[in-house]
Order: sequence, then C-alpha cells, then structure tokens
Amino acid sequence: MIAEQLREEVHNCIRCGLCVNACPVYKQLYFEGASPRGKVQLIKKILEGALELSENFSRLLFTCLLCETCTVNCPSGLQPDRLMKAMRAEVYDKFGLPWQKRALFHLLSGDVLLPFCLFWGRAVENPLRFLLPGEGKVGTIPYARLPLLNSKPLLKQFPEVIPAQGPRVGRVLYFVGCATNYLFENVGKSVIDVLTRLGIEVVIPKGQACCGLPICLSGARKMALKNIERNLELFNRTDADAVITDCATCGAALKKEYPHILEEMGANAEAAQALSSRVQDISQYLTSFDLEKVLKPVRRRVTYHDPCHLLRSQGVKDAPRNLLKRIPELEFVEMADADVCCGGGGTFQWEHPEVASGITSKKIQAIVETCSDQVASGCPGCRLQIHGNLGSSLIQVVHPVEILAEAIT
Amino acid sequence: MLRQELVQKFVSIVGPDRCKTSKEDLLTYAYDACIYEYLPDAVLFPKSTAEVSQIMKVAGAHNVFVTPRGAGSAFGAEGLAKKGGVVLCFTMMNRIIEINTANRYAVVEPGVVIADLQKAADKVGLFYPPDPGSAAVATMGGTIGTNAGGMRGVKYGVTRDYLLGLEIVLPSGEVMVTGTVTAKDVTGYDLTRLICGSEGTLALITRINVRLIPKPQTKRTLQAIYNSIDDAGTTVSKIIESGIVPATLELMDKTIIKAVEGFAHIGLPLDAEAILLMDVDGDPEVVEKQVRLVADFCTDHGAKEVRVSRSEKESEQLWVARRSVGGAMARLRPQFMTEDCTVPVSELTSAIKQVVQICERNRVQVAVVAHAGDGNLHPLLLCDQRDKDEMARVQKALDDFVDYALSVGGTLSGEHGIGITKSKYLPKQLSETSLKMMRAIKTTFDPRGILNPGSFLEHHES
Repeated sequence: MIAEQLREEVHNCIRCGLCVNACPVYKQLYFEGASPRGKVQLIKKILEGALELSENFSRLLFTCLLCETCTVNCPSGLQPDRLMKAMRAEVYDKFGLPWQKRALFHLLSGDVLLPFCLFWGRAVENPLRFLLPGEGKVGTIPYARLPLLNSKPLLKQFPEVIPAQGPRVGRVLYFVGCATNYLFENVGKSVIDVLTRLGIEVVIPKGQACCGLPICLSGARKMALKNIERNLELFNRTDADAVITDCATCGAALKKEYPHILEEMGANAEAAQALSSRVQDISQYLTSFDLEKVLKPVRRRVTYHDPCHLLRSQGVKDAPRNLLKRIPELEFVEMADADVCCGGGGTFQWEHPEVASGITSKKIQAIVETCSDQVASGCPGCRLQIHGNLGSSLIQVVHPVEILAEAIT
Repeated sequence: MLRQELVQKFVSIVGPDRCKTSKEDLLTYAYDACIYEYLPDAVLFPKSTAEVSQIMKVAGAHNVFVTPRGAGSAFGAEGLAKKGGVVLCFTMMNRIIEINTANRYAVVEPGVVIADLQKAADKVGLFYPPDPGSAAVATMGGTIGTNAGGMRGVKYGVTRDYLLGLEIVLPSGEVMVTGTVTAKDVTGYDLTRLICGSEGTLALITRINVRLIPKPQTKRTLQAIYNSIDDAGTTVSKIIESGIVPATLELMDKTIIKAVEGFAHIGLPLDAEAILLMDVDGDPEVVEKQVRLVADFCTDHGAKEVRVSRSEKESEQLWVARRSVGGAMARLRPQFMTEDCTVPVSELTSAIKQVVQICERNRVQVAVVAHAGDGNLHPLLLCDQRDKDEMARVQKALDDFVDYALSVGGTLSGEHGIGITKSKYLPKQLSETSLKMMRAIKTTFDPRGILNPGSFLEHHES
C-alpha cells in the first residue's frame, strides 16, 4: 500500500478547487473525475476503504498528463502528482499493464532486446516508413512526422571519455537518455561539442540504462528498479563536477523521482539523495560560463516551450531562456502560456489522442503566433508532440543546446 | 436510487458520455469546498437550454430531485444532492457568447469560469469586477446562484450589481427570459435579482447577461503592516468613514499571513500581527494621490510600515496569495469551518475581538481574514473532522458568533450563502412572515419541490 506520508496528505485537501481549472486535462473534459481534486478525493476514498481499486478508477487515474500543474498550484501544499504516481503503482500491482506498454517497457528496462530491436528497426523501419499509409497516426502524431532512428546509437559513436578541447577546466558525467541515444543524436553531439569547447571533459559512464521514469510513471516501479540501481551505481562518483542531462525527464528522474520512488518502496534512498544534488540540466550547467567570448551571431527568431519535467519537476525556468538570449542577434520571443503542458505526457497522447490534441492545438497556435523560425525545448517528449502536430508549418523544434552548438562553431 | 429506465431517458437527452452514474463519478460529485458529502444518483452535463428543459420535463414527470451545480467551490453544500437525485452540472455549457463593447455587456453560458470572462473582457479594455476568492474556478452560474461577493465589494459591489438579465428554465421545463441587456429596466418584478442568490432553489440558469465597465487605467496595491490587529481594524473603519474608497480592503491576521507565506513565498511580514491589503485604482494622477493618502492614513492609525507594490506582477502575486487563503489553511490543520457574518463596518474592531474571545472560550484555533471594507468577516475555525469533540466545540463557537453578529445589526452571511451550514440560524434573522413569503415564492416556482431539495428553506439542523 502507498507510503505513510502520502496517506496523510489526502486529509489535507481542503477541496478549494484551485487545481481544477488549472488542469489542462480538466479544461478539455470538464468533469470532476478528470481533475486533480477529483482524483485526490477518490484516492482518499480508496485509502479509507470506501471505494475499491476499480478499473473505472484506473481509467480516471491515467487520464492525467502528470504535468504537475496541480502540485504547483495547491495552496495546501499537497503533491497530487506524487499521490497519483504512487496510486499508479497500486493499479499496476492489481491490473498489470496493457500489452503495448508491457512490450515497450521490457525493451526500455532490458539490456539486449532494445539494441536488437533498434538495429532491425533502423534497418527496416527507416526505409519502410515511407511505405506506411500517409493517413496513419500514433496517437496524435502522423507517421510521416515521427523522427527517424539514429544511424547508430549515440553511446556507440563516442568513447567513454571525451577530452576537453584546449586546457581542461572541468569534468562532467553525461547521462545520455534513450531519446538522445536512439532518436535525437544531434542533441547529444551538441552537448558534447559545447562542453568540450568550453574546456570540459565529458565522461559517458559505460553501461548506463534508461532512467526508468516512463516505466515508473505507468506504475511498473519494480520493473525499473534494476535500471535505477545501476544508474545510481554508475553516476554516484565524486571525480566529476556534475552529472549532466539534456532530457527534462531523465533530469527529473535523477534529481527528484529516484529518491521519492525508493523511499516510497521502502528501499534505501541514500544513494539517490546523494546523486540528486549533483544533477544539472545542461542549460543550468552552462549558465556560469563566460559564453559571450565564444558565441557567434545566429540570425533567427526563437521561442521557448517549458517542459513540465524541467519547469515544474526541477524548477528550471530562466536558465534555457537566458542561454538563448545570450546568443548575439538571436531574437527571443516569449510565446503565450509557454508554461502550459504541450499535451504529450509520454504515452498519454497515444492513450487519449482526443484530449491531447485539444491541448496540443492551443500550444501549436501559441507557437505559430510568435512567427518564430524555431521553437526550443529541452524535452524529447515535447519535441515529438510539438513537431508531430505542427502540420505544414515550417517551424523547427530543437533543443536549446543545438542552437548554442551552432553559435559556437 | 434512480430507476434504470429514467437513466435511459436522461441518456437519450444528453448522450451516454454526459450522463455519469459510475460509483467513481458519483463520488466526485458528492462534495464541494465544505466538509459535508451527499452522493447523487446521477450527474448530467447539459450543453444547451433545450437539453436542460427536456431534463426538467422528465424530472418533473417522475418526481426526480434535481440540484444544479457549477464548479463545486461553495462552502455550504448548495450544489450537492442533499436528498439524492440528479446533479445538473453546468461545466460543459461554458461558451462566452458575446462581449459587446458598444453597449458594455457580456452574454455567457452558466459554466463559464469567472476568471475566463474577466480575461476575455480585459482583452477589449473592459472589466467584470465581482471577484470571489474562488474566481479561478467558480462558474458564472454558480456565483449568480449564490450572489457571490469577493474582494472588490467595497468599491464595486457584488455579483447582483452587474446582472442585467437571465434566461432560466423553470422546474416545469418552461424557458423564461428575465431582464434585458440595457442599463436600466423597471419592467415588472425584478425576477433577475430574485434568482440571484436563490441558491438554485427556484430555477436553472442557462444564459446570463452581465454589465461590464471600463477597465480602470491603473492600479496600485498597498500593504499596511500592523503590530496590533485592533489598529488594523480601526484603520479600516476610519478609511470608510473618511470617504476614501479603495478598490479592495482586506485584512489578514498573523496565522493567515504565515500559512499564505508558506505557499506563496512573496515576502509577507512574518512578525506582523495583521496586515491590510488594499488596491486603489482609476486614473493615474488620482491613483498616485490616493496611494499617498491611504498610506498616510494607515501610518497615522498605527501601521508600522506601508509597502506599495512596484509592478503589476507584484500586485498580482499579492492577490494570488490572498486568494489561496482557504487552501493554505490546510498547512495548519486538515479542515476549517468558515463563517462569513457581516457587521456594520464601524463594528469591525470589536467584531474581531469577539471572534477571538469566542474561539478562546470554546478552545478552538482560529485564523481571521476579512473583506474588511465591507465589514465581512471570514474567521476560519481550524479543525480535524476526525475529532468529534473538537467539531462540537467549533460548532458552538460558530453559534456564538452568529448570535453576536445579529446582536449588532449584522447578517448571517455576507456572501457565502446559507446552504445547509447556516440554515438553522435563518429563523434568528428572518421573521416567520419573511420565511413564509420566501416559502410561497419557492412554491410558486417549484410547486412539487423537485429543485435543490434540502436547501436553506427546509434544512434546520446542522
């Protein structure tokens, strides 16, 4: 059953409703069960024994982006997102996962299967994709707007230690997430490029695993335990200045979720807490460098979208914006509601395409209205969702560090 | 329980997705922002007047109880199915139909959230002043049902003052229009304002015309900090007496300040006994003059410091903080019972003293916040529902406080409404004749008593 400190939280929901209209999912569906308040009250009933852990409840529980908007808006200090994540683990114990998710997470939590599938995926899928029917979609994303797989996983393209260019001024451990490793290699290359040019030695510890957060958020915490333990072992080293991520979700996992998950599972969370304080998003880490000396002008208009896992999970808001603003001649434009979730929510957009598309279309409109050339966002999930729904627009979706890498060369 | 064939009839009107009967869905419509819970038999989400009318015809023919509901942010179970039956939830009927700049009015459906209307009006330079603490979630229909007030009452009045006309569905299913969109209207009885504040007992609101006013050009927020809550209270009475009309005039005591600062982190003074939060708005020159006037006034009446916000953003943060008071209380104790007795503003200081004494006498923890400029107190009596003994003491304190407020010419409720939490006090304030007339009005609108049964006119124990 869910952890004691979370059980007490449900009694502190005063039902003021301030989370309700702040919730992007509620604002599509307009019924209480879709709102954070509704879910917290149902969890209360379950903990009190007045409601069974039912399939209906499970359906409502998963009608949630886990964007954490409720948590930052709760004046009572509740953390509905943590309650819901813990309840998802309960639901998993009772009902398991749908087969599609089970298959996906077996891939992400395994060592052998994923590279095997991706090898064949690359060999077969990239050429074959053009034969897929033009109309088909994964959730809200048309096949044609899915990203291609990297020609070779990023981890295979680089040695374990990449030396600094010029005199070494620091050393970081680089946590390469699955998305960068398999889909967005240019993000990884940009991270390495920018860091090494600034005199940083980049170490990519061998054997790192998927951060496991997508697995945990579906409730299958036990399935991810091996990944978590391995990453903690590999990254809890004191011979580097920081642990760097380029992915909002991986960062949220290492910085915040590992300690929570382990504590709530009754496991030892000391190693996770030790790691937590050393993890930084690439945009945060770069803040302290004297970039002006090395940046060349990039003539372009850029807007920025806040990933939930960066803004709300990690509290990183200004760092990526400031990086972009420091690039000479780059025109930074703030979009309306930049801090509102894009509607992706990991597998949410695939399970609830009609809800997701309502949320995403507002985001797309806000992006298009800025008349930008590029929208920057440090989250592969947002990138998939935004790019996947931009339709015929020519606006590109990039990671802030990719623009920075351009400005440095 | 609702018979299956009746559920089918409702489904045939709104479709299966907008007729919810699962246990999980019903549980989420059993509560509002107070501590009581009543489980409905079904929840319907109409999207048009025609659907509401058809629903009422079915309900009338089969004597099904119907309770209208907005966002469920009320404090008195007004929108809960106190005797079972159907909850008619208007959150999906939420279009802003028109914002008319030439004649300065808006036409909206009942499910529109106040903050959304305010935003839409703001875009065209107009302003919808009613601003209850729950503006970010409360619906227009709900706030008209309860005649919600809020923080701008001291200068701008309450919901009723902005209401021009309504379209309503009677319990019989008949559709009726009241009022107009014009600034003046004395045609017949003022049924528009009768419906306003009737807590969903007379008719269902399906369309709303409200007056908008030009947006004040500028606004400044002042924060006066006091070492004594008495001084803060006296300042308020004196400000009102002197003829200065701030747009808002809110009082928070130290307990509130601490809880709110714990959430908002905006640098509220944690060592203060009380603060007054005030807006002045209007033309820039007038506002500058008023800021100085109010600041001096506060200093003269004992404020140890007066801070003036430097930007819109800073003001907004202060008001977000003020709006979070209810929720922030949960940082101290799991629940609170709130009272919203209103006294003549000259009595404010002694009313605050009485609140504190009554709570001490009954051994109840209290935090005081008030729409002070209106004499509208919101003492929050902190409690844990699981402690029966404490709940009894809280109830006793509430009773005592009502007796006090009525003894100085105050009223039971300034803005939260009666609901079930204050209905037992009604005979203390209203004469038997007055109650008889109210019941007669109810019977005229709803002869079979199917609309919001168990509400304030019928419910006499807590």
